[in-house]
Amino acid sequence: MRAAALLLAALAWPAHAAWTWSEPLTVNSVQGSAIFPHLESANRQGVAVSGGTVGVVWEDNRSGSPQCYLAMKSATAANFQPETQLSKAECYEPVVMALGAGRFVAAWEEAGKVHARVMPGGKTLQLSKTEAAQVTLALRDHTLYAAWAEQAGRFRRIVVARLALKGDTLSVKSAQPVEAAMPVDEQGWPALAVAGDGSVTVVWEDRRHRHTVPMVSHRPDGRQFTPPARLTDRKSGSVDGLGAGTGAMRPTLTAWGEQGIAAVWLDKRDFLSGYDVFAAFDTGTRRFGKNIRVQDNFGDNMAQWHALVVGDAAGRLVALWDDARDGTPDVWLSEWEGEAFGDDLAVPAATGPGGQSDPVATLDAAGALHVVWLDRDEAAGARIRYARAERR
Amino acid sequence: MKLIKMALAAGCMLAGTVLADPPTGYPFVDFDAGLKAARASGKPIFVYFGRYGCAWCDHTNKKTFSDAGLKKRYSENYALVYVDAESGKRLTLPSGERITEAELGARLQAFATPLFVYMTPQGDKIMQVPGFKTVQDFEDYDRYVRGGHYKQKTLLEFLGGKS
Repeated sequence: MRAAALLLAALAWPAHAAWTWSEPLTVNSVQGSAIFPHLESANRQGVAVSGGTVGVVWEDNRSGSPQCYLAMKSATAANFQPETQLSKAECYEPVVMALGAGRFVAAWEEAGKVHARVMPGGKTLQLSKTEAAQVTLALRDHTLYAAWAEQAGRFRRIVVARLALKGDTLSVKSAQPVEAAMPVDEQGWPALAVAGDGSVTVVWEDRRHRHTVPMVSHRPDGRQFTPPARLTDRKSGSVDGLGAGTGAMRPTLTAWGEQGIAAVWLDKRDFLSGYDVFAAFDTGTRRFGKNIRVQDNFGDNMAQWHALVVGDAAGRLVALWDDARDGTPDVWLSEWEGEAFGDDLAVPAATGPGGQSDPVATLDAAGALHVVWLDRDEAAGARIRYARAERR
Repeated sequence: MKLIKMALAAGCMLAGTVLADPPTGYPFVDFDAGLKAARASGKPIFVYFGRYGCAWCDHTNKKTFSDAGLKKRYSENYALVYVDAESGKRLTLPSGERITEAELGARLQAFATPLFVYMTPQGDKIMQVPGFKTVQDFEDYDRYVRGGHYKQKTLLEFLGGKS
């Protein structure tokens, strides 16, 4: 028995050895059995680190309707400050981006349109003129972009905007649909990244092929987006006259290295084992290469959910998701090791009995990984939890 | 009159778009409308958890849901709900929580579509069965659910005991 325990400990050692984790903190100050916090957003941008200050955004219904909140914690503080409510009307899917020096820009859907605001301070700006949702942000060299899914006739289409920031005041400098033509089916869940050369890449879910396909376009010249291409290397088409193709959803993006872009999404090409986590890389050519499965074989026969990717200019790249391979949902991560993704590692404080799910994450300027997730407890209510990890 | 017919046809097209791939001819509605209808009528809920472009959903629609007897049985006795496994459309769970249709799939740990979920009129889950099913399967599930056998037996026990 002792030998078996030692063997298990030895096998588990690399997982714990890879990262040194802080003690987890609770982010949301109000919990309850009928309060439901959510970390869902386009590109899963629920946490950012600005000059050492951590900012976390989420939505919950504590006030009787869904509202969006931001909580912050300085590097030296032991706990998060009580959260600030961002919205006044029904609010969903907030995102946050670091502006530096402890400042953030948050964006969200409120009353059916998308909005943004610099925090702390700043006034709320309505980004979309018409019905829109699923807003996301990207920043490079003081240039700020937003993308969202906007109603255009019967369907939504993807719009990318360049925002101007003067002091704490935001304004929309330009807003442009990725395609000028009206959409022929639903588009949604955009993710944005700005590469080292300043080109903007946008991915999104697209149903023009009668099933959900992550599509990609980039804007190399600051003016026009390229015609959409598939992010996935799977073709559409029926099987024996049935269906239109396998599903793939919720693409996420990150700038990576000096010129690269990395994408991660949920993919059902192996339709008997649920969604798997897949990745693709654009090394600077502005074309994504072959698709790579992220999770290891231990997660192969299990559905993965809530996947995202975070990277930095130094070339670090980490994918995170949740799955229930150990019986209940836990948060897992895998790091890019140059030619493949490494072994799946459990986030220590986001594993074990109960449900830990819905990760959001970011890498800070020093390469530390900041992870936020939901820790579900039906009786006490869900907690939003945070932990920081440094590479050993 | 012609204009009214055109408007109705356009409305049907829009509804079809929103609901993606439910079988034709069945009165499927979205989750919130189905839960409300079930509470009002006392009928159990039958959730068809499908995916846009899903081949096995298409196969089930053509082979199984095309059966006139099954259509009558399920249309008359259930609040029929269609959920799109990849949709960002929001629904309200019986607990009051608002989530997306795709998130419902995560909560159900849905690994394949179609997935069929039977619920009480209050929205409590009775059972879920994944994959292609025959007319006979759905008739068995119907007897198990509406006969109240789920209160005493597992589905396997019930099916093992049937002639």
